[in-house]
Amino acid sequence: MADKPVYEEASIDGQPSKLASIPASDTTVWADASPLLQAACAGLRDGELIHGDNFNLFAAMSALEIMDPKMDSGIVCTYYSIDEAIENGAAPIPISLDSTIDVCRTIDIMDHLLACEAAWHKGHSLAQTVFSCIYLLRLDRTAPHALLHSYCRIIRATCKAVVSVVSDARTHEEEDLFTLTYGLPLNGDGDDKCLSILNAVEETISRQLRACKATSSKRRLPEDLEPLQSNPNLEEGFCKALLCRLRFRKHFFHVLSCMKRPQGRGLESARKHIASCLTELESILKSADFLRSCFDESCEGDIDDKTTASGFEPIGFDAMLNSRLSAPTPPRAIKILSWKKAVEYFVKLLHDLDVICSYSLDPHLESLLRFVVQFQKSQPDLVARSHLQLLLVQDGKLYGRDPFFAVINKAAALPEATKNHDIQKNESFLQLGMLVMNLLKILCTNAAWQRRKLGKFLQDWRVIYVQLELAFRNEYGEVSSSSNDENTCMKIFQHILLWVEEQTFWIAFRFLILGFELELYSTGEYCMVYWYLYAVLIKLAEKTHLMMAVSHDTAKRKGKKKKDSPKDLARESRIPPAVLFLQCYICLAEGLTMYLSRCLLL
Amino acid sequence: MEVKPEEKAEIEEPEIEYVSYGGEHHLPLIMNLVDQELSEPYSIFTYRYFVYLWPQLSFLAFHKGKCVGTVVCKMGEHRNTFRGYIAMLVVIKPYRGRGIATELVTRSIRMMMESGCEEVTLEAEVTNKGALALYGRLGFIRAKRLFHYYLNGVDAFRLKLLFPPPRQVL
Repeated sequence: MADKPVYEEASIDGQPSKLASIPASDTTVWADASPLLQAACAGLRDGELIHGDNFNLFAAMSALEIMDPKMDSGIVCTYYSIDEAIENGAAPIPISLDSTIDVCRTIDIMDHLLACEAAWHKGHSLAQTVFSCIYLLRLDRTAPHALLHSYCRIIRATCKAVVSVVSDARTHEEEDLFTLTYGLPLNGDGDDKCLSILNAVEETISRQLRACKATSSKRRLPEDLEPLQSNPNLEEGFCKALLCRLRFRKHFFHVLSCMKRPQGRGLESARKHIASCLTELESILKSADFLRSCFDESCEGDIDDKTTASGFEPIGFDAMLNSRLSAPTPPRAIKILSWKKAVEYFVKLLHDLDVICSYSLDPHLESLLRFVVQFQKSQPDLVARSHLQLLLVQDGKLYGRDPFFAVINKAAALPEATKNHDIQKNESFLQLGMLVMNLLKILCTNAAWQRRKLGKFLQDWRVIYVQLELAFRNEYGEVSSSSNDENTCMKIFQHILLWVEEQTFWIAFRFLILGFELELYSTGEYCMVYWYLYAVLIKLAEKTHLMMAVSHDTAKRKGKKKKDSPKDLARESRIPPAVLFLQCYICLAEGLTMYLSRCLLL
Repeated sequence: MEVKPEEKAEIEEPEIEYVSYGGEHHLPLIMNLVDQELSEPYSIFTYRYFVYLWPQLSFLAFHKGKCVGTVVCKMGEHRNTFRGYIAMLVVIKPYRGRGIATELVTRSIRMMMESGCEEVTLEAEVTNKGALALYGRLGFIRAKRLFHYYLNGVDAFRLKLLFPPPRQVL
């Protein structure tokens, strides 16, 4: 092997070699490996393979073919580095010396960033989406451009806040890509002041808007203010277009801050900001007509596919600059969402967040479970689901407020007084609390992962039942007459055992139903599925009915005498609506099973 | 979705020749087919991994000397089950709809069964109606749904075919 640096000679085709930009240092040296490779070519015969023990599928799939642009992230598309890109004018500051064009291009950048943000939320890497923006990668150099600078800062602060929420919620599998931020400049000094910086810019533009309106109506304002840009006919349109974009970012940031407040204290404020966000998004959509028509040149191609309202390609973005940071696997080109679709995404996200913020933090577990199931029907995305999960489970308590033993106590129709009973320190009850906590977290994940997890989870619920039953029998199996406290403990065990069974069947029911939503069953399997549903629902209805009878007993024992009046008996024999509802499901399941089994026979 | 009608190749059924993977000379044929038709790029190492370790599980379909389809598989121990895995299945467009893919898959599955596999799995896009129908007809069930499995954000089904347990010797 050659032992002298040969980079001066390495340019095979006679062009001044770009390799000079990667010089040898004190500890490294370039060596020409061509003779070695040449010799190696003749080393194996056709069809021979060197197979190491650790050559498994993962190694094969992760391997790269050097210089294949689909796999080799070192293959440069345009620029070697961010600095080279900047040196070559890829992200000019100001964007244009013509202030009108500068404003127009700034709006394009804002729109494209929104599209990138939506693409990131939807599952692509942060590095290839939002951080494909060169201005964002070197935020400090945007300081002379107040508008761009303040917008980039708030984007960075927003991304950081969203990453934090999703990280806390703990993602799984494919959704892990969302929180990969290694190497990206997400932490900025002074980003906590991003709102005040944004407010200052918003204030200036508001004054510019007032000024241009005053001019148009021939009234003069005392302020001697420079206009936003040089074309007076476009001043109002541009001011409005900018204001709604800035305000959207401001209110969105507030939504995230409010929702982060513990125990749901910020939910009402969040709702107000959500409403403002939606209003600003509408204005943003309306601004598109103006932006598309302000220049004579029209953009090529289908406007609906564009990532900007104006239809023009944004300046200052290069997805390949971060290719080494995008993902564990080789980066592939991704398609950024269209601007229209991006706005739609944020509208949906805001509606989903609004549903969460409107929730009454009901301490009754059954209502909560129903709420979460209903919420999931609208197929909320990761960001919304993470927010829900963090609202429900904080500091090991429900809503950060109710200890899980108290929640279970209530759900098992035990009297209020028992919620502080010492028995909660018992290992089995502690574990049961964890199970309920995990159940809530699982119910907030995406349906596909959720179903698999619920299936495995059934085992845990069965185990806890057996454990509790064992503990119960060990303590009270032989006791006949007992003290007051022992009576209470017995009651706690009995109620909770019954409740655990009810929950287990509910989980089984959810597991089966999710299969329909996920399209896992072929039509030939429906008969079998409905038969399983029928069996599970019968048990669920039985346990629910028992649960209600036992809770009625508890209520009764509080005040009344032992004698049952005819009215009481009548009330007892009436089936509670919840159970009737389940019985309807049972009839449906039974009917469908019979019907489908006939269809199979025919 | 293709808008322009593809010209269907005119062939007689017996004219398709099915061949088991025979060596390095088959590799470029397989790679060309897969590179053309499937969206994920594979390195040459990936192909070699499959065809060198399990040559008996990969098959090619020829029509008049031209390679028109291929299936590439593996098998191995996975969590206490001996399981086959279908990695790639391609038939070029003009030859689709003739059962070539079904025949390729069937040959591979038969080999897996004979080799002692208990089940066969693969992943397919939830939107790939053709593949889902093909495997559905062969008795595969949809064991799981994998959220955003593909880079374009599409979910996948994990499809599974369970072989009947071997008969007990009385």
